[in-house]
Formats: sequence, structure tokens, C-alpha cells
Amino acid sequence: MAEYWNIDPARQSLVDEFFAQKPEPEVSLDFNIPEKDFNNAGKGSAEVKNLLKRLGIDPEILRRIAVASYEAEINVAAHSVGGKMISNIYDDLIHIRFEDHGPGIADIEQAMIPGFSTADDLVREMGFGAGLGLPNIKKNSDMLHIDSERGKNTVLELIVFFS
Amino acid sequence: MAEQESKYFHAIQILPDNCTGCTACVRVCPTEAIRVRDRKAQIDPNRCIDCGNCVTICQFHAIIPRSDPLEIINRFKYKVAIVSSSYAGQFTEDISYSAAKQALYALGFDEVAEEAMVTDFMISMIREYIRSNRDKRPILSSNCPAVVRLIQVKYPSLLPNLFHEEAPMSILTRFLREKIAKERELKDEELGIFLIVPCVAHVTAVHQPEGAYKHLQDGAFSIGMIYGKVREHIKNAVNNPTEVETFSKGLTWALSGVQAELVDTDDIRALSVNGIENVMDILSRVEDHYLDQYDYIVLRSCTNGCVGGCLNVENPFVAMSRIKKMIKEAPSRDFDESPLKELHEAGEFDVSPLAPRSIMELDKDIKNAIQKMKKINEFLIMLPGLNCSACGSPTCYALAEDIVQGKATIDDCVVLLKRHNIEDEED
Repeated sequence: MAEYWNIDPARQSLVDEFFAQKPEPEVSLDFNIPEKDFNNAGKGSAEVKNLLKRLGIDPEILRRIAVASYEAEINVAAHSVGGKMISNIYDDLIHIRFEDHGPGIADIEQAMIPGFSTADDLVREMGFGAGLGLPNIKKNSDMLHIDSERGKNTVLELIVFFS
Repeated sequence: MAEQESKYFHAIQILPDNCTGCTACVRVCPTEAIRVRDRKAQIDPNRCIDCGNCVTICQFHAIIPRSDPLEIINRFKYKVAIVSSSYAGQFTEDISYSAAKQALYALGFDEVAEEAMVTDFMISMIREYIRSNRDKRPILSSNCPAVVRLIQVKYPSLLPNLFHEEAPMSILTRFLREKIAKERELKDEELGIFLIVPCVAHVTAVHQPEGAYKHLQDGAFSIGMIYGKVREHIKNAVNNPTEVETFSKGLTWALSGVQAELVDTDDIRALSVNGIENVMDILSRVEDHYLDQYDYIVLRSCTNGCVGGCLNVENPFVAMSRIKKMIKEAPSRDFDESPLKELHEAGEFDVSPLAPRSIMELDKDIKNAIQKMKKINEFLIMLPGLNCSACGSPTCYALAEDIVQGKATIDDCVVLLKRHNIEDEED
């Protein structure tokens, strides 16, 4: 399976510690993301954003989380046959995991290039598919991990620290 | 009186004797500021933004707008009214705008000015502001006091994006206060300037202006309150017309869509949004920078803009159609803007940076906030999820939060209580 990692070097040890310990989240939120349902795509990330507002997260960090999770949610709706979004909130960070049911990404490195998109006509008609999704997620997260292969499913997980 | 202590003034009043505790207001409040406790509605003054949804929905005349009594104008030697543009849309088409304006003099005012007079000046001031603040995108209109307060309580990160200059009626107030005092040799306390407004939020803004540096108005009257008195004088005004100048071309201010079209130009892209639900959706997207393609966003809490204000008498769509007709048929009239420009350059229309009134955080400390959220989720699982509001909180989530914040108990849920009773009987 092809894997892609992008970790902010300043956060490397914290990220390693997180994956080594796999702590129980304080609060967890699950969302289903149906295929090509653009009326509802984005609701999961909106809910996460509202929840984080209640915690008093810094607005700029909140914005990064909102953008990264929204883009990833739209990606699942636009490119997969459906999936889910699991948001785990800790005292100091949020970890969001997106799992879909395929069909997988053929070339992750290519998909990371701004402007590259395999979006179909329906997706483009809805105003998506500009090829900025993954680059935007990368830019707005402290850790991005993608695990995928053509013909398999995709797992995308990201971490954003609260300070 | 079910009113909580607060530093915030609100132009909304609850009459407990009339309140049946029906919770209609609880469900329409966009900031979840209302609860029914002990069968009476209560407003949390820290959360209320004066949008007027509760005033409109209440069938029992239990939530009523606060407005100043018209008699207060008699405290002043010289009385000036500034009338909101939406006023022009409140009359049947056989009554001309000049007759409707003339009738206002009959209420006892020495001078009647229109918000519409400064529309052209406002448009150029807004454009200039956008061009000199390109680092902040988009600029958000600040004329609607309910929107300003909404941003303070729910979207404080967007406060720097607000258009930080006075609204048209306040600009006109500053201008007239100087001009009239000088011309008529009046002391400041002898000159009374009053607004005639379409909504609760504007009454609040007169009594507690956000960011104002100087003395503005001396009171506010709602269109609905003076309408009856105006009607008494209208017939006379129609039969005995006097020379009354009107500025119908500027009435665009009452219509959010038309205002955005006027600001929109080669280098400025404007978007118009009205209705509080739409406004909240858009503000949330502005927060995430998804609407950075716009330079200016006109935001109005009411349907179609100020014509939708809850203290108007005419339907917002009919009023809009009438005003559009007036704008189309109006002759252009010159209004000398040079004194306004001088005041603007002297900084007379400046507004101080607005402070947040954030209501969103569960706790100042993030660890405590997370613990509270966990408890909220625990209660939420126990609650039936009907969002029936019978407990007096707007949703099951809000009740769970009220329980955790010590403002309610799980026994407030009547559905759970009923279920427990049935179980007890079965045992």
C-alpha cells in the first residue's frame, strides 16, 4: 500500500508520542459521508467547528481545523463511494480520521500537486474539483497521513494542535 | 420581571402576565438566548442581539418592543426626526412619499431628515474604506445593529472585518447637530435629534451605540408606534400639500440587494445577504476564508433588509416593491456632500474598535470545557432527542448544557418524567 506522511518537524516528537500511546479521546464524534451528497457534505466539519468553538480554541487554529476537515470531507463525498469521519478531541489536539470504501488513490504524490484533480463532471459542476483539496489539507494541518492504493480504500488522518 | 442583570441594554421587554410559557420564542432565537423557567420566558441579556424574532413570533403580546414615548421630544427646544428609508414603503400607493414625510412634521418635529439623503455619500465612503483596507477581506457591513451584535457574540474573530465607520443615520445626526446648533444658535441640550426606525435593534443602538465616540441621538421611535398618529395627519397632508423635499433616489438603503449592487464596481465585488439564518451561514464561511473572493458583504438580519424590520407595518416584499418603484421614478436631487466630507476627514464618523461579547466558550479553561462537554454528552444520551422545547430550553443539547452549567436539572425534561412515571406504574 502506498503511504504519504507530512509532519511539521517542530511537532515530530509529539506526533510520535501520540501514535505510540494511542490515548483515549476525551470527546469523539462520528459522521457518515454518503457518496456525492453535496447537500450534506461539509456538515460533519461544521459540527466539529461548532464543538471546538465551545472549547474556546484560538480562532486561527479553529480556521485551520475547519478548512482541513472540510476539504477532506468533500474529498470523500466527491471521489469515493462513501465513507465516514471520526473526530477525536483531546486536551491539546484534534485527530480526525476519514475512512472510505474505495476506489483508492492511484498516485498520492500526484494528487498532492496543487491543481491536479481527477474530479468528474458532476463534481466540477458543483463547483468542486479545483485540485486544491489535498494541498489545502496539508497546509492547514500539523500532521497528515494518507494510506491508499488504486482499487482499495483510502484512510486519511490529520492532527492539529490547539497551541 | 424575568430580566437578568447585565451591562447590556435591550429594546425588548417581557410582560410576564401575558406570557403563557409556550416556548415559541425559545425556538426562534438565533443565539439561544431565551429560556422558559417557572412557566415564564426569560432573556439572557448577554446573548440577546435584538434581532426581534421573538417579538414577531409571540402571539400573546408578551414580548414587546421598548420604544421611547413621543412626548420626550417636548423636552427640547428644537426637534429633529431622522427617518429610516423603510418608512417610505409603509403606505398605500395613493399616498405620496412627500405626504408621508409631511405628516411627520404634524407630530411636532421642526425638521425631518431622511436616511436616504446620505446614501450616495455612504456608498463612496464604503468604497474608499474597502480600497484602503485591502488586507482585510471581505469587509462586512455594519449598518445592521443586530448583525454587529451577532458578530460580537458568535463570530468575534470577524470583528476587525466590520466596516468601522458610523451608519448613515448617525452620520446624518453628527452633521445636523453641528449645522443646526450653529444656524439656530442652540446649545447641545436644546437640540433633540430622534430616529424613526424599523426594528428593535435600531432602538437598542440609539440607547447603547457600539463604538460611538460622541453624543448621537436623544431617542428612537418605531415606525409601528408612530404609524397610527401619522395616519391621522396623512389625509390633511394629501389635501394640503406643502413644499416637502424628498430624496427617493437614496431609498436603496432599506434594501440589502440594491445596496450591494451600488457598492459593486470594477474593483469591488459585493455580495448581499439577508435573513438571520443566511447571515449566520455566510459568517461561518467567511470565518474559514471560503468567501475571500468578495470585497464587501452586505449583511442584514431581516428579510430583504430594513424593510423586513419587525416594527414595520407592511410586508417586506410589498414594501420593497413600492420603494423600488419610488427609486425608479424619482428625480435626481443634489445634496451638498462637502460638509459631510469635511466631517469625515476630521474623523467625526470614526468608530472605536468593537469588543467581543463571546458566549460560545463553555469554560475559560480548555480542560474544564472538555470535561463539561463530556458531561453534556452524557446527559444528551439520556435525553429523548425530540427537541420539543417543553423543558423551556430550545433543544435537548441546550438542556444538557443548561444542566451542566447549573441552570436546569434533568427533571425539567417532561418526556423523561412521563416515561419514568409509566415505568413506575408497570413496576
